Amino acid sequence: MAKKRVGVFSITCDEGCSIYLTEIFNKKLLPWLEKCEFVYFLSIKDHTDIKDLDIALIEGVVTSQSDKELLEKIRANAKTLIAMGTCAMTTLPSGQRNNFNLDQMSQIADHLLKYHFLPKALALKDVVRVDDNIPGCPIIPEKFVEVFEKYL
Amino acid sequence: MHTCDLDISINKLSKIEGHADLDIKIRDGKVEDVSLRVMENVRFFNQAVQGMDYKNVPQLVSHICGTCSIAHLTACIEAVEKTLDIKPTPQTIMLRKLTMHSLMIRDHALHLYFFVLPDLFGLDSVLDVPDDKKGLIHEALHIKEAGNNLSNLIAGRSVHAPFEQVGGFSNEVDKSKIPAMIEELKSIRPFVMNLTEIFYNCQWELKRKTNFVAIVSDDFSYLEGKIKSTSGAVIEEKDFWNHLHSVVLPYSQAQGFEFEGKDYTVGALSRLNLNKDAIHPDTKRDMKKYLDVFPSENVYHNNLAQAIEIMNSIDYSIEFLSKSDFKKEAPVQPPKLTGEGVGVIEAPRGTLYYWMAITDGKVRYVNLVIPTAQNLINMRDDVKKIVGDICNFNQPVETFEKQIKKEVEKLIRAYDPCMSCASHFLKINWI
Repeated sequence: MAKKRVGVFSITCDEGCSIYLTEIFNKKLLPWLEKCEFVYFLSIKDHTDIKDLDIALIEGVVTSQSDKELLEKIRANAKTLIAMGTCAMTTLPSGQRNNFNLDQMSQIADHLLKYHFLPKALALKDVVRVDDNIPGCPIIPEKFVEVFEKYL
Repeated sequence: MHTCDLDISINKLSKIEGHADLDIKIRDGKVEDVSLRVMENVRFFNQAVQGMDYKNVPQLVSHICGTCSIAHLTACIEAVEKTLDIKPTPQTIMLRKLTMHSLMIRDHALHLYFFVLPDLFGLDSVLDVPDDKKGLIHEALHIKEAGNNLSNLIAGRSVHAPFEQVGGFSNEVDKSKIPAMIEELKSIRPFVMNLTEIFYNCQWELKRKTNFVAIVSDDFSYLEGKIKSTSGAVIEEKDFWNHLHSVVLPYSQAQGFEFEGKDYTVGALSRLNLNKDAIHPDTKRDMKKYLDVFPSENVYHNNLAQAIEIMNSIDYSIEFLSKSDFKKEAPVQPPKLTGEGVGVIEAPRGTLYYWMAITDGKVRYVNLVIPTAQNLINMRDDVKKIVGDICNFNQPVETFEKQIKKEVEKLIRAYDPCMSCASHFLKINWI
């Protein structure tokens, strides 16, 4: 059976989930490599085209127009799209600007406009169809294994 | 030799922390500009901390960066405690040292095995190593796992560690797990020897004269000490800012720093150049050959220095775990709720500075200087230098363009920049 093609993507966030994924790798990487290949994962390999993915794991919030376009491209090229971590699922903590008061908002307003930010930071499900979720901040290792292995 | 103009863009630098693009502009055969563009979208931490309860701010800023999370947490806690005159107990200081050592083990291992080794073997990814070297992946995963387990034991987790708090640790160390932890740390020492031998034999060389700056402590603990430089400066942590000079780099608008008016560098290479006497005796015994390399002006020896630091952190951790009697302690309460203070630590990538103000328990502001910003000027100059050296317009452009990309990425990875941190605090001009 052909190996599943997996992509790991970070949109706006601290990349804590993908860093934590490399800790989950400590025990699971070698068995997983029997069943899949990580074709897109900038933390461990060079940039490649996003296409023909079986599984896309995405961390972070959709805060700008460019995030939105990237997410839509991933969705169009992935059979299964999984939201990884609470930012991707619920917008927090990386979407903290959604909870700013008027004073805080006035300090960032120019920046939002200049760099094509969306009016609010969005969870993945607000933009595209999401097939599954892995909660945690960062991701709960047991939950990651359980969800990811369903699709291998 | 004829000359020409060339623009090289590296779209999405890989195998670094965070995301960035690099543009190189060559005019009349000379490197006119090198600019690093950080791509991540800001999350407005400067605004988010305003008005927050001081107790919650360290955990919030630990989300600035996934990989440096423990460094931000620890530096911010130190700043809060200095601001409010909180004096942590000796046990708390020891637990923080252990937490920092756990960070160094797993962070340096990630950098060296996953980011740098592929360059050494001419591969895209560490996952592609040939079968005869597959053992290295096993060793990498074991080292990272030991660091991760040490973080779990002491601080509750390796990313966004929940136990480390203002005034102390919220959870008692589970003493039943200490013997196994010590054994695990001992078991990875041979792997670290193998890794260090690889970087000792690595022939990459780019020597540059610069000023090396780091906190110098008598137990190589990354936490407390005097900030020293190879130029001879000795300064208190609280005065660090007075010796820094912010410089806006032309073209890129990025903000770099000079130390006492000169270029400088921070990180593992600086620490080894300034403080190798404080390396753990067991590391000194087993790594004499490698330690003799320092002081070094070779930028690529930052990789070797990191490998030595992994061993040093293992050996100090074994000593702390063996000799300490871990007791339950209540967190130390602040004697006052208003003030200004500074916290400085050595993060994996270098000196990390926090300066904050608190009024009636609410944070007014937090300013920080991150290691990557301090290394920016040198990194840019060195990229310029190697591009200039490689440029040979007698060859087909494609040939040396490919070589430039390869060599530039290799050099940038030696500096081990963190673009997740940089996206907030480099003041890159967003385009």
